Amino acid sequence: MHTIKQLSVFIENKTGELSDFTHVLSTNDISIKSILLADSTDFGLVRTIVDNPEKAKAILEDNGFSVRFTDVFGVKIDDVVGSFDKVITALSKSNINIQYTYSFYEFDIGIFIFSVEKDKFNEAVKSLLDAKLEVVSASHFYK
Amino acid sequence: MIWSKAETLPRLELEKLQTSRLKETIARVYGVVPFYQQKFKEMGIVPEDIKSIKDITKLPFTRKQDLRDNYPFGMFAVNQDAVVRIHSSSGTTGKPTVVGYTKSDMDVWNEVMARVFTMSGINSEDTVHNAYGYGLFTGGLGVHNGAETVGATVVPSSGGFTSRQLLLMKDFNSTVLTSTPSFALHMAETAKKEGYDIKKDFKLKCGIFGAEPTSVGLKEEVSRVWGIDYYEIYGLSEIIGPGVSNSCCESRDLHIFEDHFYPEIVDSKTGEVLPYGEKGELVITTLTKQALPIIRYRTGDITSLDLTPCKCGRTHVRMKSVMGRVDDMLIVNGVNIFPSQVEHVLSNISDITLNYQIIANKKGYLDSLEIMVEVTEEMPMDSIGALEKIQKNIQSELLNNLYINAKIRLVEPRSIERSMGKAIRVIDKRSL
Repeated sequence: MHTIKQLSVFIENKTGELSDFTHVLSTNDISIKSILLADSTDFGLVRTIVDNPEKAKAILEDNGFSVRFTDVFGVKIDDVVGSFDKVITALSKSNINIQYTYSFYEFDIGIFIFSVEKDKFNEAVKSLLDAKLEVVSASHFYK
Repeated sequence: MIWSKAETLPRLELEKLQTSRLKETIARVYGVVPFYQQKFKEMGIVPEDIKSIKDITKLPFTRKQDLRDNYPFGMFAVNQDAVVRIHSSSGTTGKPTVVGYTKSDMDVWNEVMARVFTMSGINSEDTVHNAYGYGLFTGGLGVHNGAETVGATVVPSSGGFTSRQLLLMKDFNSTVLTSTPSFALHMAETAKKEGYDIKKDFKLKCGIFGAEPTSVGLKEEVSRVWGIDYYEIYGLSEIIGPGVSNSCCESRDLHIFEDHFYPEIVDSKTGEVLPYGEKGELVITTLTKQALPIIRYRTGDITSLDLTPCKCGRTHVRMKSVMGRVDDMLIVNGVNIFPSQVEHVLSNISDITLNYQIIANKKGYLDSLEIMVEVTEEMPMDSIGALEKIQKNIQSELLNNLYINAKIRLVEPRSIERSMGKAIRVIDKRSL
C-alpha cells in the first residue's frame, strides 16, 4: 500500500520539451501531484507522481516519450525543526541508502518522496513505521 | 623538378613496362595467393591469357571485403620473414584491414613519396612539418619517409596539440606543412587566436594536403590564409598508402604513378570499364607490390582520368580530385568510417537499441561527428548518472574500435527522422 508508482520520463534538453510533456498529461485529464526535474548537459529526467500512473504511462508512450515506473514511498512530516532529521535518522539507522529525495507541501505538512535500492524498499518503510513516522499511502495520490 | 625518369616515359614505353610488370604480378599471385588462384579458376583465366596491359579488363576485381575475409595475412604473397612493415585500418566487424610491405615495397613507397615531394618543389633545403597521424595509419609514416628520401628535415609532429605544433612550426622555420586540409585551416584559425602574424611568423611556402575530399573553395582558403602553394596528394593503404598520385605545379589534377599503379575507371554498378574523361569508380592494380599485390582494387572513390599532356612534362595520366564515394563511407578528419562499423560497435553495447543516427558536421574547420541514440524503457531511466555512463561508454567504445571521437546524444524514442518508415542512418551536413 505504500508503494507509489513514480513516472521517470526522459526528455531532451530543448525548448518546448517540458510543455509537450505537461500538455499531454493535462489534455488527458491527469493531475500532477508532484514533479521533480533533474538535468544533465543535454537531457533531463522528469520524476513525477500523478493521480493515474498506468494511464499516464500509456498516453505518454503513445506520444513518443520513454517512461519507466520507479517504486518510491512518501513520508509526511510536520513543519517543525527536526522532523526531516527524524526521517533520515530512521533510515540511516537501518543502513538504507537513499538514492534521491524530493519534497512538496500540502497545506502545512510536507511530504518527502524517497527512492531507495529496490531490495531495501520494504525495510525502509518498516524502519519509518517503527520510528512512528507517517508513511503516505499510495491511494493518497490516486483517483 | 622531376624525381624519376619513369615519370616522363613516352606512353608506349610506359605501356610496355606496365605489361611486363602486370605479367609478373599475375604470375606471382596465381602461384601463391589462394584467393586469386580460385578467382582466376572461376573465371577460366590462366596467366598466359594476359598478353598486354589492355588484357587487364579480363581480370577479377578485388574488394575491401576480400581483404577482411582473408584477415590478417591471407592475401599476402610472401612469408612473414620477407615482411618489414604492417599497417592497418579499422574494420567493419571488429576485424581491421591489414596491409604489409617487403623491403622492396618500402623502396617503392619511398620512391613514389619522393616524387610527391619533388613534384611539390621540395628538396633537402626544406623543413617538413608533418601533421598527418603516425601509427597504424599509413599517412604519417608514408609522408615521413618520402620527405626523408628527398633529404628534407622532417618534424614528425603527428596530429593534435595545435598550439604546440604552431610553436614548433614557427621556431623550426618549417617551409612545408603536410596535413589534412581541414587541420591546416584549424591551425591557421588557432594561430590567429593566439596572436601570431601568419605571414610574418611562419616560413611556409607550400603544403601537401590530402586524406579527405576537399572542395576547390576549401583548397583556395588554405592557400590564402597561409599564403602558400597547395599540392594535393592521394593514396590508400590497400594500394600503398599516400603516394598513389599527386598534383604538380601546372595542374590541380593528380598524376598517378602509373609505372607502379595501373588505374582504370569503371561503372560502379556494372563494373564495365569507362573511357578516359568519364566519371566513375577508380580501380587500381599494383604493378610492383611484393607483400600484398592487388588486382583491380575497387577504391570506392569517384573520379575521372585525363591523358592530355601536362605542361610539367610528366606523361603519367592525371586523375581529378576525388569527387565522392560509391558507398556510404564517411571521411571524418581523415579517418574512414562506414556506418556499418558504427552499428557494429553499438550492437555490442548492452542497454541500448540500434535506433541511431550519425550526423557529420563542421565545427569551425574541423569535422565533428555526433551520434544520436534513442532511449528506451530498458535503459536505467531513473538515474542521470547511469544514463551519462551509457553515453560515456558508447563514446569510449567508438574511440577504441574505430578511432573516432564522437559526441553521443541520447534522444527520445522515435525522434530520429524516418523516411518511408526506414530510419535515416547518416546525415552529412558538411557541404563540399
